[in-house]
Amino acid sequence: MRVLKLEYYKIRRKKIVPMILLLLAAEMLWACMSNSLSISRNPDQAVWASILFMTASLNGLFMPLITAIVISRMCDMEHKGSTWKLLAALNVGRSRLYAAKFGCAGSLLLLAIAVQAAVMAVYGLAQGFSGGLPAAWLLRFIGGTMLATLAAAAIQQWIAMAAKNQAFALCLGMLGGFIGLTAPLFPADVRRWLIWSYYLDLAPVTYRYAESAGTFAAQPWDGRIAAAALGTAFLCFIFGNLHVARKEI
Amino acid sequence: MKQSLSAEWLKLRHSRIGIVLAVLPFISLLIGCANYALNREVLTNGWYSLWTQVSLFYGEFFLPILVAIVCAWVCRLEHLNRNWNLVLTAPVPVAAVFMAKWIAASLLILLAQAMFMGLYGIAGLLLALPGPFPAETIGWALRGWYACLSISALQLGLSLRIRSFAVPVGFSLAAVLIGLGLYVAKWGIYFPYSLLTIGMHVLSRDALDPLREALFWTVNAGYGLLFAAWSVRGLKGRDAVTG
Repeated sequence: MRVLKLEYYKIRRKKIVPMILLLLAAEMLWACMSNSLSISRNPDQAVWASILFMTASLNGLFMPLITAIVISRMCDMEHKGSTWKLLAALNVGRSRLYAAKFGCAGSLLLLAIAVQAAVMAVYGLAQGFSGGLPAAWLLRFIGGTMLATLAAAAIQQWIAMAAKNQAFALCLGMLGGFIGLTAPLFPADVRRWLIWSYYLDLAPVTYRYAESAGTFAAQPWDGRIAAAALGTAFLCFIFGNLHVARKEI
Repeated sequence: MKQSLSAEWLKLRHSRIGIVLAVLPFISLLIGCANYALNREVLTNGWYSLWTQVSLFYGEFFLPILVAIVCAWVCRLEHLNRNWNLVLTAPVPVAAVFMAKWIAASLLILLAQAMFMGLYGIAGLLLALPGPFPAETIGWALRGWYACLSISALQLGLSLRIRSFAVPVGFSLAAVLIGLGLYVAKWGIYFPYSLLTIGMHVLSRDALDPLREALFWTVNAGYGLLFAAWSVRGLKGRDAVTG
């Protein structure tokens, strides 16, 4: 716990939270504006599912990049200040330091996802969507997005800690964003192998395309995809931790 | 100036920036081609349909972020150790240090554009598209590169000021979205990140009218000079942070 507290202490002047909020503001502004545009063209779109689906689609692009930026900033300070060696010389295992960093980044990303859910709730209530606040859907949105984000974060932290040059970690984030954005174009069998496509696969709603128009529909929770996300996060965290802990500084 | 430029190349020589420059356009193209191949019955305009698929995500989202990564890369070495002290006490004008970085970043982006166009040509041949290769698209890629010059001047200014590699990239992501919004609102001609969309004909194949064409070239040049002056001023006036 003390190690985790120190992680928050180290980033207190890094302005990471304002940066996350800035990027989220851009994303949610885009989501709400395009949703309002869709509603003005087709009033049938004035349902909770529309804003949830729009945000989940945009998360495919944004969350991998936000994750890459947050984790890169937290790891880069150790590289730039040569403080990883200093920390390794303390009476704390490197594995615990690695885990604390992951926990700190994870909590910041959870905050980002919770803010998204809050914005969607406010937007939906302001638009007067029928049926009241869909708390179950919002909770599932937070859970599904967090699972996909944890998997992406575990890979990002591994790369960001192992390679001093943060360009590689950010390129991976960019590739993840690209895959997340184009994920709906892939067949389901291909999507299963790409963790960045899980933002849509774990969303509570989906969009079913028909010949002339499509409709929103509830998407059942896919336990296999959730397990795959959790498994990827776990394996990447363990291997990354082992690799970084044993790597010569 | 020549010395500064050769120093930049020396710093880039054994870096692995080539991997970044190759991988990102390649993956953009691969996904664009896959989408084109899967929807051939709808996308019937041959080479131009392929262009819409491959350039959409690349030109709209990933090229500006690639520019940000390249600019952060060329400033990365200076932020390490106490290299700013070394660079700023070298017997070359500060403007030459910036110009060398700007030219190096611009040439790297030109290389990425050339690779993208080469891959586009190869993809078109492999997909057996009818008709000759549209020479027009080379012009679009070059206009995209021209738009990247002002973006790279701004990103360099940010990367010279900010020690973190990730922050300028995050700024670029936010600017891309603002650019998309301004493009939709028909104000894109006045914003550098939307000028890239306009220059590369990412969202529209229509040629610009003479006024907008003139605006595209002059606004871009104006932004380039403005951001370059801002960056040089920052280098001249601010204390170097090292360590």
